[in-house]
Amino acid sequence: MDEIKITAYKCKKCGRIHFPFHDRCLDCIARDFEEIKPEGPVRLLAFTEIYNLPWGFDVRTLKIGVVEFANKVKAMGQIDVDEMGDLKTGMKLTAYWEPVRKTADEDVFGLVFR
Amino acid sequence: MMRQVAIIGAGMIPFGRRDEDTLLDMLAYASLKALDDAGMGDKGVDAVYVANMGAGILQHQTSVASALVDRLSLMPAAADAIENGPASGASAIKNGVLAVASGYYDYVLVAGGEKMREVVGWKATDFVCTMTHPEAEYPYGVTLPGMAGMFTRLYMEQYGLTREQLIAVAIKNQKMGSLNPNAHVEMIITKEGIADSPDSVVNNPMAADPLHLYDMCPVSDGAAAVILCPLELAKKVTKKTPVVVAGFGQATDTHTLQEREDPTDLKAVTLASRQAFEMAKLTPKDVDFAELHDAFTILEIAESEHAGFFKKGAGGKAVEKGETSLGGKLPINMSGGLKARGHPVGATGVAQVVDSVFQLRHELGKDRQVKGAKIGFTLNFGGFGNNVVAFVLTRAE
Repeated sequence: MDEIKITAYKCKKCGRIHFPFHDRCLDCIARDFEEIKPEGPVRLLAFTEIYNLPWGFDVRTLKIGVVEFANKVKAMGQIDVDEMGDLKTGMKLTAYWEPVRKTADEDVFGLVFR
Repeated sequence: MMRQVAIIGAGMIPFGRRDEDTLLDMLAYASLKALDDAGMGDKGVDAVYVANMGAGILQHQTSVASALVDRLSLMPAAADAIENGPASGASAIKNGVLAVASGYYDYVLVAGGEKMREVVGWKATDFVCTMTHPEAEYPYGVTLPGMAGMFTRLYMEQYGLTREQLIAVAIKNQKMGSLNPNAHVEMIITKEGIADSPDSVVNNPMAADPLHLYDMCPVSDGAAAVILCPLELAKKVTKKTPVVVAGFGQATDTHTLQEREDPTDLKAVTLASRQAFEMAKLTPKDVDFAELHDAFTILEIAESEHAGFFKKGAGGKAVEKGETSLGGKLPINMSGGLKARGHPVGATGVAQVVDSVFQLRHELGKDRQVKGAKIGFTLNFGGFGNNVVAFVLTRAE
């Protein structure tokens, strides 16, 4: 399985975790961060299924969600389940690093939850 | 001491699919309507602010403000283009207001326009998606309707919002749009047609779960414009009742939804609205009508709560009870809102103010006019609430 290649940033002063990157902490405006990797299973915080897709997707619909990893990193990704009825806010899922779209015939990798 | 700023001219062209017009055509037509409405005659302006989000992407055209000044023969007026996503229109007006209030310029034209229908649907969708975070959101294919879908589900879970309440917004705003000659969508809809009949599955398919097609605003072409000047000069130019920009506010929030402590809390809406009311020395209770940014039905309800008109969780019930309809406690979107007037993104914030000017000058027919309206409120929502601009507008007696 491919390693999840996103980096989150923990403020060295107040401990707030950021993803994506900010030059200054969203809480205390400090500028020093420790790089951390998302870890563990994820908890589903929000989700939807989109029927009108932008450029770059050769599928009929996309299920998208925001999750929180066990170490508090929050991130968006695609959800791979058969039915929307399979999803509930707060449920546990596992995160994978897989192709999420194509750009110029090249796979673009990102988070997929299932 | 800042000068009080008046809106002395307002104009817009009908929104919709305008294949025959270029972006510049639309901006010019709306600007001429505003100049004529103000009674400016052949008089020039000191500065022009043009709100536009996507000409660089959609039309492969830049420097639209310079082009508009040339088209209208307004040289040597200063000219700037303002891009702030779907809040570009209100941002441009705010910059115009600051320029007049400061005493630097006396007469300012603000025009907002967008031409979105000349590209295919997926290109228009992708264009709007360029607002999302380039690494943390865009690659996944999330759209603005998708964000609204996630937001709606959380709102339903936390505040008991119902699908019936969203439908009530759609029905109300399409009814008002059917009465607005400038609206993109003129079709009246019923609950039976979009929710209760077997045909509703086809009429109103899912768009971004739990939101359906009729929870969405259309993709539109259109333009709108206003003329600003100091209140003390207004009556020298126009015979119409000036409208005063009594207060404005603007606030920002995190780019990604995931970094908000409570994703259902639209902090920028609350802050921008509060600033506008404080500047105007008024409160939400004083407002006679509001034009809110209902790109999705959920937003009208959530914004009405965050702007201070209703408590959290009470906005949906207010729509159901008719409190936001004409004759209700606070009529909202008597123009039809984005839902029916349409949403040419760069034009929307200006169009909200133009429709409010018509309301405050008591120029609308009985079927849309809020009786005796003296104070209006507008809210233009950029991104998914990460850049919000609000105005409190008053009728100058």
